[in-house]
Amino acid sequence: MTDNQEQLIQEAVEKALQGDMDAVNNIEDRVTRSKAKAALVKAKREAAKTSAEPSSEDKSEESATESKPAPLSLNQKIAGIIASQFPGTVDEESSSETHIQLQPAKWFDVAQYLRDDPACLFDSLQCVTGVDLGEESELEVRYNLHSMTHRHAVEIRIECARNNPKVPSVETVWHIGDWFERETYDMFGIEFEGHRDLRRILLPDDWEGWPLRKDYEVQETYHGIVVPKVKEGWE
Amino acid sequence: MVLNIGPQHPSTHGVLRLKVVTDGEIVSDITPIIGYLHRCFEKHCENSTYEQVIPYTDRCDYIASMNNNFGYVVAMEELMEIKVPERVEYIRVIMAELNRIASHLLALGTYGLDVGAFTPFLYMFRDRERILDIFELTCGARLLYNYMWVGGVSHDLPVGFVETVYNFLDYFEPKVQEYNDILTFNKIFIERTADVGVLLPEVAISFGVSGPNLRGSGVKWDIRKDEPYSIYERFDFDVPVGQGLVGTMGDCWDRFYVRVLEMIESTKILRQALKDIPANGDVHQALPKKIRPPKGSIYRRTESPRGDLGYYIISDGSPQPYRLKMRSPAFTALSVLNEISRGWMLSDVIAVLGSLDIVLGEIDR
Repeated sequence: MTDNQEQLIQEAVEKALQGDMDAVNNIEDRVTRSKAKAALVKAKREAAKTSAEPSSEDKSEESATESKPAPLSLNQKIAGIIASQFPGTVDEESSSETHIQLQPAKWFDVAQYLRDDPACLFDSLQCVTGVDLGEESELEVRYNLHSMTHRHAVEIRIECARNNPKVPSVETVWHIGDWFERETYDMFGIEFEGHRDLRRILLPDDWEGWPLRKDYEVQETYHGIVVPKVKEGWE
Repeated sequence: MVLNIGPQHPSTHGVLRLKVVTDGEIVSDITPIIGYLHRCFEKHCENSTYEQVIPYTDRCDYIASMNNNFGYVVAMEELMEIKVPERVEYIRVIMAELNRIASHLLALGTYGLDVGAFTPFLYMFRDRERILDIFELTCGARLLYNYMWVGGVSHDLPVGFVETVYNFLDYFEPKVQEYNDILTFNKIFIERTADVGVLLPEVAISFGVSGPNLRGSGVKWDIRKDEPYSIYERFDFDVPVGQGLVGTMGDCWDRFYVRVLEMIESTKILRQALKDIPANGDVHQALPKKIRPPKGSIYRRTESPRGDLGYYIISDGSPQPYRLKMRSPAFTALSVLNEISRGWMLSDVIAVLGSLDIVLGEIDR
């Protein structure tokens, strides 16, 4: 019986390692099934250990013999294009495979270039996200761009000072920039320079403070109405 | 003359206020004033755990809660690199497509109401009711489901679910022809909507308009096809686009008709999914006990009935999101209203607004 059980577990684990989880899940007996799952975890851990070591060696060997750079991600390619067109705008140290870090100064020109250049053609501004990097540090705006022609997407990040946050507006480059920037202004107080109609959009015009900043303190009353506090520390 | 429409007005589909500047009956400028339903969803998320965010996503687009859940869990699973069981994927697709039909039925029905057709509204609500019954059968709720969880779904399918949905499809498919007869190709309806509020493709893209509104302008863009998520690449379905059948491409009628065609495509997906769904399996299998995604950020979008629904999630490794931003499709759709309804009559503004199918819960968040 136990031999039978062990054999069953072993078979199921082997199948699961090849990607067929159903073999484990279809075991009728609950105890056997949980044993099989435990065995699977163990097997996976060992497999990861053995595969991780040689693979890192492989990599170093590969890079030593061929010295071929890893293929650039799209973000890195676009960062290269921006850097060659607008020297000094890309912050290469903090850029990564998944985003491009830009200096705010020439953002408007860069945005126009990104929209019109045939290699980029980012005709759609998907999302503008304001981020508070922490009470002691700066604010950041993140733009997700997408191209309907090339079907590719990049993420641009621009940092701005907490005390006097200013970023050039791209409202005239993409129409939706208008509302997205108003929303970011509303929530973070980031001023988009050159925006023609920078007002609050979701909150009332006479609301105080910037709600999505981490150091935001809600006002006590609004026109005589007590403002409820956000509950903290849910568990 | 400055005319105020809303915030409480049946044709604004919620609490939306429009400040309309008119010259006689011709509209020269519209300023939408939003935020009446603002709850600062994003601030709430920062103070809730990742699991607690899901009920909030329900309440954003309350017409298509399943799709909102879906978008969030897809983004979370990509951030955490979880793979969910096959059965869960199928259940999610079935729910999302059922909800898409329900959402489109509401959009089409109330649009008929906006332009003065009362009967189609009742027909469509009658059929939407059947979908809500299916949801009630599955998870107990009719509007706000909290059904899809990170790594699984909250309940397994009830006994007889597949047959129930088959029955619904058999009932529903012929009804689409009925809607077309009573409303879509009705002469009065065409008079009201054809050639009105034409949205050019490049304008639509610049304004970030997405989903059926963008496809109504002839742009073949559907995230289910072009950036497939979940298991959508397995299904065979078309992406209907507006062709200007009775007027100009991108007019209100095209946006309306794209939604009618999309319901048929959804039934196709549903039939394929019901055929292939694994008969049994654990729906909680990949569900972690406590959700703590690795540090990092992700932007993922999915196709909700209103268009590109994106979630930008930043995790700092704690059980609560550091920042969560929702890119709502209705927000971008409303921003184009001023652009395409200038120069039309006041009554056409209502027709244009209805054709954009906005949900204020999602705009204001």
